[in-house]
Amino acid sequence: MSTNLAERMKKRLPVPYTDSLPDEIKRNLGRWVDRKFHSNGIIEHISESGEHVFTIKVGGTPNARFSSDTLRKFAGIEDKYGIKALRFTRSGNIEFIADNLENSMMIKSEVEKMGYRTGGWRNSLWSISSCTAYLSCTTAVVDSPSITKVLYDNFGKYFEDEESLPAKLRINVSGCPTACGGLTSDIVVVGHYGDAPSFDPQKIGLCLPRKAEALKVAVPEVVMVCPVKCITAFGKEDGSVGINIDRGKCIACGRCKDVCDYITFDSKKTGISILVGGKSSNTGMGPNLARVLIPWIPANPPNYGELVSVLRKIIDMWKKDGAAGERFADYVRRIGLKSLQETLEIPVTKWNNSDFSESQFGIRQFAQR
Amino acid sequence: MPGTLDYQENGEWPSHITEIRKTRYPIEAYTKGLDAKETQWFGGSAKIRYVYVGFIARRTKDGKHSELHFRIYQPSGQIYKTDALRKILDFSDDYGLGLLEVMGQTGGLIISMDPEKADEAIDVLRSLGTDVGDTGDTFRDFASCVGPALCEYAQYDTLAARDHYMTYEPIYNNLSNQMFPFKVKLKFSGCPMDCSRAAHRADFGFIGMWKGAPDVDENLLKSKIRKEGIKIQNLVQGCPSGAITQDGNSDGIRIDPEKCQKSMNCIRYAFPAIKPGKEKKIALLAGGNIKGRFGPKMAKPVTILDDYKDAEDFIMKIINIWEEDAPHKDRIGDTLVKLGFSKTIDSVKDTLPVEPEGTPSGQKRIINSAVLTDAERERYSVWAKKIMNEYGE
Repeated sequence: MSTNLAERMKKRLPVPYTDSLPDEIKRNLGRWVDRKFHSNGIIEHISESGEHVFTIKVGGTPNARFSSDTLRKFAGIEDKYGIKALRFTRSGNIEFIADNLENSMMIKSEVEKMGYRTGGWRNSLWSISSCTAYLSCTTAVVDSPSITKVLYDNFGKYFEDEESLPAKLRINVSGCPTACGGLTSDIVVVGHYGDAPSFDPQKIGLCLPRKAEALKVAVPEVVMVCPVKCITAFGKEDGSVGINIDRGKCIACGRCKDVCDYITFDSKKTGISILVGGKSSNTGMGPNLARVLIPWIPANPPNYGELVSVLRKIIDMWKKDGAAGERFADYVRRIGLKSLQETLEIPVTKWNNSDFSESQFGIRQFAQR
Repeated sequence: MPGTLDYQENGEWPSHITEIRKTRYPIEAYTKGLDAKETQWFGGSAKIRYVYVGFIARRTKDGKHSELHFRIYQPSGQIYKTDALRKILDFSDDYGLGLLEVMGQTGGLIISMDPEKADEAIDVLRSLGTDVGDTGDTFRDFASCVGPALCEYAQYDTLAARDHYMTYEPIYNNLSNQMFPFKVKLKFSGCPMDCSRAAHRADFGFIGMWKGAPDVDENLLKSKIRKEGIKIQNLVQGCPSGAITQDGNSDGIRIDPEKCQKSMNCIRYAFPAIKPGKEKKIALLAGGNIKGRFGPKMAKPVTILDDYKDAEDFIMKIINIWEEDAPHKDRIGDTLVKLGFSKTIDSVKDTLPVEPEGTPSGQKRIINSAVLTDAERERYSVWAKKIMNEYGE
């Protein structure tokens, strides 16, 4: 193939983006003037040219994993009824694109025959976004795709049914405190160790310089990565090096384990934290990161009963008390984390006693103009 | 109780297991992880000639399986013509395991590969007009919302903006180099709905907005009130900024431009009778991230621009400061916290065509993990059981 392999250093980028667009979209680029919502995830975009384009949103699998076989079937359905283009959304859903409502309904019916669901618009569940965890990640504590599957099985009706919730709802699921799944969603589920780490006193040496002398010139990475400075390295009498971990300071973030395989956590203490009140859009009270409602509940596969029940409880509360059009995140910020914890009788420790501040984020940090 | 894998394959929602079973992905590794309740993957290695960025190699702890995946640049907007998509799918079958992750957390398309064929696969992928990228300590896949391709609210061409910065020479020349302290992300949202999460998950975020109040078409609004049941009362009460008042007893409204926070509530309710304002602007924010030394951060305000290109020099200058200052695995947002956000922005303000503006909001550190005593764990456990009993799960 390429004669000069060094050419590979120059990345080939899929630009310009217009090359990837079907003609129906290309000729109406930036000319959309109105939109209409149809049932179950079908949205109509109306151009000033008078043309119409419909998108049909199909819910993705956990961690957006698809076989080439399924995607090829999707492409076949799109070719038959659509304008021969598919879009991958940021949350791992797939949008089919058509130029009339009748064909849009056919697409919906065809993907449903395959066992997929359409929906996720307006006042419904838009997505449960999951990181990759046990499928290929080295730092995962719990398996977020499994959790996501269970949550979709239990709450998928909110994706399908229109107007089933007070407003849009997003849930993110992450397998570890790095939270690749994201914190800007109404409800955030994070797997974590629940305890400070320990280490094998012999093998930890493999993550440290061999001689105590070396500590004078460089800080070992396993010490440096700790964001709360709870790991210290010291020289032993025999000239070798050891570490101490201050349990009182540790936040169990797992960054030390990321860089050293001989840091270990007790798997019996792992669990799930639930955060609430995040979102990225500027609607309502504006964008914010979610805060910890409860720092730990058990992570019990395969049905994750504790997690499902707790989410059912807080979603039911919102359905009952949320104002029309009020997102879960705005509902929680309006009533306050503390009040929600009191109502639910959630035990409070230093890990879940930080309520929302009055701070405004995103473009609200600019003076109004 | 069935095993986790079987359980995962049943249920109403489409399962990732069902998809994976149709591929050559080593499902035994996943099964073993589920049974052991811990990931089986360790970092692995792979050597692909002259490719330093864009693939991730793994091996299982028992040494039985290895996995290699490619992260692939997506076209801005992630729209694929079906014939182009089929070529990618053929590529995934011929050189990979037939398994894709259509939207990775980085924004890239992820394809599980056959390590034996990875070197050859690079050239094939390049012949399809894309490439591997966005891993490691370099520029990652930039993200944009769907923008003018399929959205009525886009205040600027977010797709062109992403293309522009991907190909902007000082950035493009560094796409193969892992020379930074950590990753760098740019995100482009066309309106305050911020579908690309530019206000949080980007070192440099661009958000389309406008000056003053939204644009109201009074006649169309009157007609919507008569014909579609739009209510003035809902517009007034629905505005989070309290910027909307009824104009006397008429079917008209007034929007106070001083109060309007661009919440989009009225626009979404009465579109297109109420639209984003005519004087289009782009807010530039910096320092957002989820993975950084000081934890997840919301981005802070830099200034308001007329053109997305106006941030080029600013971005490169801030990257220079970060490179000088930051230890490995500190994000740009961490450096800006350490050096002082406003002070640092002020020191490079000559790179911007307008003065910096905005007041950064303080944010408490978010810790989403916990170190609990056995007694505390027991209390939380008992509480969760109580809720479970309530629902009879």
